[in-house]
Amino acid sequence: MNNPALTDGGLSGDIAVVTGGGRGIGRAIVEVLAAAGMEVVFTYRENAAAANELIASCPGAKIAAEMVDVRDAAACSAFTDKLIERTGRVDLLVNNAGVIRDNILGLLQEDDVRVVLETNVIGTFNMTRTIVPHMISQRRGKIVNISSVSGEKGGRGQTNYAASKGAINALTRSLAVELASRKITVNAVAPGVIETEMSRAVRERAGDAVTSRILLRRIGRPEEVAYAVWFLSSKYADYITGQILHVDGGFKME
Amino acid sequence: MTNTITTKDEIMAIFPKVAETMADALGCDVEKVKLDASLIDDLGAESIDFLDIVFRLERAFKVKIPRGKILEEARGNLSESEFDKGGVVSDAGVERLKSFLSEVPPERFKSPLAVADIPRLFTVETFCKMVVRQQKAAAASNPKPA
Repeated sequence: MNNPALTDGGLSGDIAVVTGGGRGIGRAIVEVLAAAGMEVVFTYRENAAAANELIASCPGAKIAAEMVDVRDAAACSAFTDKLIERTGRVDLLVNNAGVIRDNILGLLQEDDVRVVLETNVIGTFNMTRTIVPHMISQRRGKIVNISSVSGEKGGRGQTNYAASKGAINALTRSLAVELASRKITVNAVAPGVIETEMSRAVRERAGDAVTSRILLRRIGRPEEVAYAVWFLSSKYADYITGQILHVDGGFKME
Repeated sequence: MTNTITTKDEIMAIFPKVAETMADALGCDVEKVKLDASLIDDLGAESIDFLDIVFRLERAFKVKIPRGKILEEARGNLSESEFDKGGVVSDAGVERLKSFLSEVPPERFKSPLAVADIPRLFTVETFCKMVVRQQKAAAASNPKPA
């Protein structure tokens, strides 16, 4: 991705961490931030081929990948230690890693609830807890959490996922209060229905009914979410904290 | 078994670096960081500063200080239910704290003492002692070859 306009965001040379950056929305975020001149280190859980392909597809960009399961607090800590040893600082954390295991409550398996909450919520806590002390010491930093329209809008078969994203919204607001005195902003981007592999099952199940409930009458693209992340990471958002920015074509309002 | 007793010499050996680290974290003059200064009452530290101070001490002294380490050590062998009830430190807990925080003048231990107010007791020396203990623990777990 090559978009010169992005380099005006004051991010050039800054260090970004993006969790779950190998595919889907995470991949688009990595591409956009790298295009903005950031050095991006992204984590992925298991798909090394996708991670390598992403790096190869962005020649000239400063992108690196590390296999980290965000559910593992020790692994997050080791990842951050290694990063800081090399870079000496971290300017942006994008908590994007997440999974979806949709089903109506009666058919949800115990594992469906546990894995979604552990990845989406505990994983966000784990990585944030390792990065935040560095940002506090730096007296600067930005955190952008990837939430979902589900965090605020009820959706059949999404009790586990919605609970996890509602938690992310609450975490975002509380952490913003905690860290404001250290000039660290914390915001979230809440995508609606986006064209990714992860949301494919949801989109197929709902069919045309989905787009009819979106004010802009179309599914969103991953880069449209990534641009919102770029904005909240940029100098243009220095005065914004504790906010949930919905990128959903008006889905939440319908 | 690590020797957890810290001597004044050990404390004074690291105090200048601890003071410098705390001054950096709190944005104050290093002269203000006296050994007996209370972090909250004298140096104006907030709870978030404790995280920053511990983090900076870890880097300055190359030690690992698990979060909540001081409170955990302060409790000693007392169970949580023995140490406090409903957020108020028990009599046994206060005695244990007075022994552990021997650098804090006895009159600063209020009665009743809320668990949430324990950090208010911490002085610069409290952190010096913690660093010394962690250095000793690290040395004990990684003995240098003879």
